[in-house]
Amino acid sequence: MLFVGVQLLVWSITGSYMVVMDIHYIHGDSLIATKKKIIDFDDVKYSLSQLMEDHSAAADVELGLLLNQTVYRFNNGDQNVMLSAYGGRQISPIDEKLAISIAQNMYTNNKAVVTRVQLITDNPPRELSGRHLPAWRIDFDDFASPSFYISANSGQLVTKRHSYWRIFDWMFAFHVMDYIDEEADNKLLLVFTFLAFIASICGLVLTYFRLMPQKNKRNRNLDDKLNKGIANEKA
Amino acid sequence: MKKRNIPKLSFIKLSTVKKLHKWLSLFVFIQLFIWLGTGLFFNLMDHDKARGNQNKKAIVFQEVEHKRLLNLDLIMNNISKPVTEVALIQRLGKPYYLLTHEKGLYSHFKSDYSLVDAYVGDEFIIDDGVASKLAQASYKGKGEVSAVVKVKPPIKDMLKERNIAWQVNFSDNLNTSVYIDASSGRLIGHSNDDKRFVDLFFMLHFMDYPFLGKGSLGGFNNGQIIFFALLTLVFCLTGFIWVIELLRKGRYRLGS
Repeated sequence: MLFVGVQLLVWSITGSYMVVMDIHYIHGDSLIATKKKIIDFDDVKYSLSQLMEDHSAAADVELGLLLNQTVYRFNNGDQNVMLSAYGGRQISPIDEKLAISIAQNMYTNNKAVVTRVQLITDNPPRELSGRHLPAWRIDFDDFASPSFYISANSGQLVTKRHSYWRIFDWMFAFHVMDYIDEEADNKLLLVFTFLAFIASICGLVLTYFRLMPQKNKRNRNLDDKLNKGIANEKA
Repeated sequence: MKKRNIPKLSFIKLSTVKKLHKWLSLFVFIQLFIWLGTGLFFNLMDHDKARGNQNKKAIVFQEVEHKRLLNLDLIMNNISKPVTEVALIQRLGKPYYLLTHEKGLYSHFKSDYSLVDAYVGDEFIIDDGVASKLAQASYKGKGEVSAVVKVKPPIKDMLKERNIAWQVNFSDNLNTSVYIDASSGRLIGHSNDDKRFVDLFFMLHFMDYPFLGKGSLGGFNNGQIIFFALLTLVFCLTGFIWVIELLRKGRYRLGS
């Protein structure tokens, strides 16, 4: 118990946190203002076939919106490119000002003040997947310190994080006992789960003996009878 | 002074702690064993098999003849629903415009799409025949299609999915099922008996029991697990205090 007790406590604390906190809240879904914006096809002056002619390597072409502007997004080899659908002018990579406006536009609290803006091109933080790089990180001065990550090439929100997600992430790492990659198939977890299993079986045996007074009494009575019998025999 | 006061105070509490620990053990022991057992399973299982993708293959894309692409404004004349996004995609090696009418935050959230042939302009409906072909294009196993069924959420194999889908079943030894989104034709995913077996363990670990509360929801935020998690938390805390007490009393000496 001494060895696995701490981990059992860690499991129950981290497990409780994870089940009590709503997963959609943890994902930051409630931070996003859903605004349904419709494409005005009169704004599309630069046609798709024109785009394909100008950029022959273009793949996964999409027509969508960037704030109120209609834009094309596509992969050009290994790079994401964004063009204006009005004239075909390249917009990507976006600058700091535009990144801030996009983040503010998506955040439910439109009065929140931006505290820090950072362009991340390499060494992403723990909370951002490397495949989203390059990305702008926009930190808001608000409850639970939300951070929005806006792709510098697509201008789209790629990740949103806040304090409770960051806590959840550590909780999960401690739950699976892998503090770096957070994979559940590590040897440390195996050893501790196995020990915890043995300890729990011992605990169950203890529970059985402690909380079964009648049976104990019956045993005691039996013992008494046996003792009496032995005493009688001796006599 | 302080040192003398603590043992007396904690002694009163300790008896309650011990009693609580003993009774709680009776309540939580079954689920605790389930948690440890399934936890052990997750640790030891084959993580590749657990994904259910043994018979999945990458879809092959064809070259698009961009000169034949129809202009978008021509297509929009025939569309009555509002459009928020247009994507040039491929289904079965042919280009289509995927029109987004409604899109959730994630692909498994409620969405509404329509497909238009990018060369001809006709609307493309994902019926059972198309769904079957789409499923076969993502399948590399040796089985044949045995059934195509339209399924509404909750889908047992894909509990998180909130969109209507086609379930295409294959007659192979893993009973592979392929799920295709009924409005966009997107491949939602593969499932098979290996994945279903792992799903059973997740259901047990998350207490996502089909016969309790709202049934299986594919998550771990249900009432029963919150209740048992908190009980177990108290159980572990009381046990921990007990161990500390035993440690203070010197009951953990080596050789004793």
